Amino acid sequence: MAEPLLSIDNLRAGWGEAMVLDGISLTLAEGQALALLGRNGAGKTTLIAALMGVARHRAGVIRLGGTALERLPSERRAALGLGWVPQERNVFRSLTVEENLTAVARPGRWDLAAVYALFPRLRERRANLGGALSGGEQQMLALARALMLNPRLLLLDEPLEGLAPVIVEDLLAAIRRLVRDEGMAAIIVEQHAHQVLPIADHAVILDRGSIIHRGAAPALLAQPDLLSRHLGLQHH
Amino acid sequence: MMDDFFFSLLLAGISVGAVYALIALGLNLTFWTTKTMNFGQGSLMMLCAMLTVFLSSQGLAMALAVIGSLLVVAAFGVFIERWTVRPALQASGGSMGWVVSTLGFGIFLQGVAAKYFGSQAVAFPDVVFTAQDFVTVFGQYVSLQYLVVLAVAVALILALELFVRKTVWGQAVHAVSLDPELALVQGIPVRLLVLGSFMLSSALAGVAGVLIAQIGGTVDPAFGFDLVLLGFVAAVLGGMGSSMGALAGGLLVGILSKLVGGYVSTAAEHGIAFALLMLALALRPQGLFGRPEVSKA
Repeated sequence: MAEPLLSIDNLRAGWGEAMVLDGISLTLAEGQALALLGRNGAGKTTLIAALMGVARHRAGVIRLGGTALERLPSERRAALGLGWVPQERNVFRSLTVEENLTAVARPGRWDLAAVYALFPRLRERRANLGGALSGGEQQMLALARALMLNPRLLLLDEPLEGLAPVIVEDLLAAIRRLVRDEGMAAIIVEQHAHQVLPIADHAVILDRGSIIHRGAAPALLAQPDLLSRHLGLQHH
Repeated sequence: MMDDFFFSLLLAGISVGAVYALIALGLNLTFWTTKTMNFGQGSLMMLCAMLTVFLSSQGLAMALAVIGSLLVVAAFGVFIERWTVRPALQASGGSMGWVVSTLGFGIFLQGVAAKYFGSQAVAFPDVVFTAQDFVTVFGQYVSLQYLVVLAVAVALILALELFVRKTVWGQAVHAVSLDPELALVQGIPVRLLVLGSFMLSSALAGVAGVLIAQIGGTVDPAFGFDLVLLGFVAAVLGGMGSSMGALAGGLLVGILSKLVGGYVSTAAEHGIAFALLMLALALRPQGLFGRPEVSKA
C-alpha cells in the first residue's frame, strides 16, 4: 500500500500540564477529506494545533508524506505542506488583502489569479485592509491565504462558525470545490455534522480526547441516531 | 542673505539629525520583528568606529576597514539577539528584561573597549573628504563631510523603506510585526527575520557610528551612549516603527538641539531633546507618523 499523506500514531498532546489528546491514531490518503466532529471541548482544535506544533506534544508520531513532523517548528510544518486556517484571529489586520496573500505565497498552482477565481469577492477587496473585512470575508481570506502556501493538506478549524447563512453557502461551495473537484486533501473541524459530512470522504468523532467513532462520511450521515448520541442535538 | 551662524547650525543639525534617524531606524527594525529595541546600539556605534580606527591604523584601506568593522558589528547583532534579547523574552514574568540586558551588554562593550583601546578619545581618520573640503551653496560654505553623512543616511533610509513596502520580505516583516504566531503557522521564517533584523539593526548602528565619528573627528569608549538615547527620542517623536517618522524625528531632534546649542548653551543641546520627548508623549503619544494602535476586536 502506498504511504498515506498523513499518518498519526498514538498522539498524546495538550496545553501546558493539561493532557487533552489521549492516544489518537488515524491516517488520511492523498485527495481525501476528513470531517473531524465532536462536542465542544472534545479536543478537535487541540488535534489541529498539535499537527501544527502549537499545542504541547507529549508522545506519538505525526507523519506528512513520510516526514516526521513532531519535532519540527510550526513554520517548517507549514513549509512542508500544512495549510492551517485558524478559527479566530486569522488575518493580518493592517496588511491589505493582497499583501496578506503575497506575504506567505509559495510557488505552485495556487497563485493570486487562482485564489481570486475561487473567491471573486477578495479580488474586489484586494486593496482593503484585512481588518476592514467582514467576518465572512476574513474567513475567505484566511482560506485563500492557506491555499497560497500550496499545501498538501488543508486544516480548517470551524470555517463556518458564526457566519451569516448566505456566507456559509458561499464558503461551503468553495470548500466543496476544493476537496471534491480539485482533489485537495483536508481535515475539516465542524460542530455541525450535516454541513460537512456531505462533502467529506471520512468522518471521525472525538470525545474527551479519544476517537469514539470512525467511518465513511456518507454512512455516518445515514445514521442520525449515532450522530445525535455522540454530538447532541443537530440543527437542520 | 541668511545669517551665517544660523545656516551653519541648521546644516550641522540636518547632518547629525540624519544620523539620529539611522539610529532610530535601527531601533525600529528590531521593534518590528520582536517589539524590542537594542539599547546597546550606542556601544555598537562606538565599537564600529573604534574598529575602523584600529584597522586603518594597521594599514588597511579605509573602505576595507569600514566594511570589516560593519561585518563584526553585524555579527554582534546575532549574539545580542541570541543571548540578551531571546532569554529575556522567554523568561517568565516581566517581558521588559531586554531593556536592561541590551543596555547592560552595551556597558560591557564599553568597558572592554576602554580596556583594550584606552579611555582616551582617538582621532577618527577621514573616510572620503577631510574637514577642510567644502562646496559653496547660496554663498555659504557647506562641508562635504556633512553632505556625505546626509546622503548616506537618506539613501539607507529610502532603501529600507522601499524594501519594506515593495518586497515580499518586507510584507513578511510587516506580518511578523502584526502577529508573530500567525506568521509562524503560515510558514513565514520568523526566526530568520528576527535574526536578520538584529544584524541589520546593528550594521545600521555601525554606519551611524562611523558617520558621526566622521563629523566629530574623534571617538572614545563612552561615545554613542547619549546618541542612542537621541535616536530613541527621534524614533518616538516620529512614531515607533515608521521609517519616515524616524527621518522626520531625527532631523527635528538634530536641528533643534544644534540651534539650542548654538544660541543658548551647548550644555542644553541634549537636554532639549528630552524636553521634546516629554512634550511629544503628552501631546501626541503615537508620534508624528504613527497611527494609534489598531484595536484587536
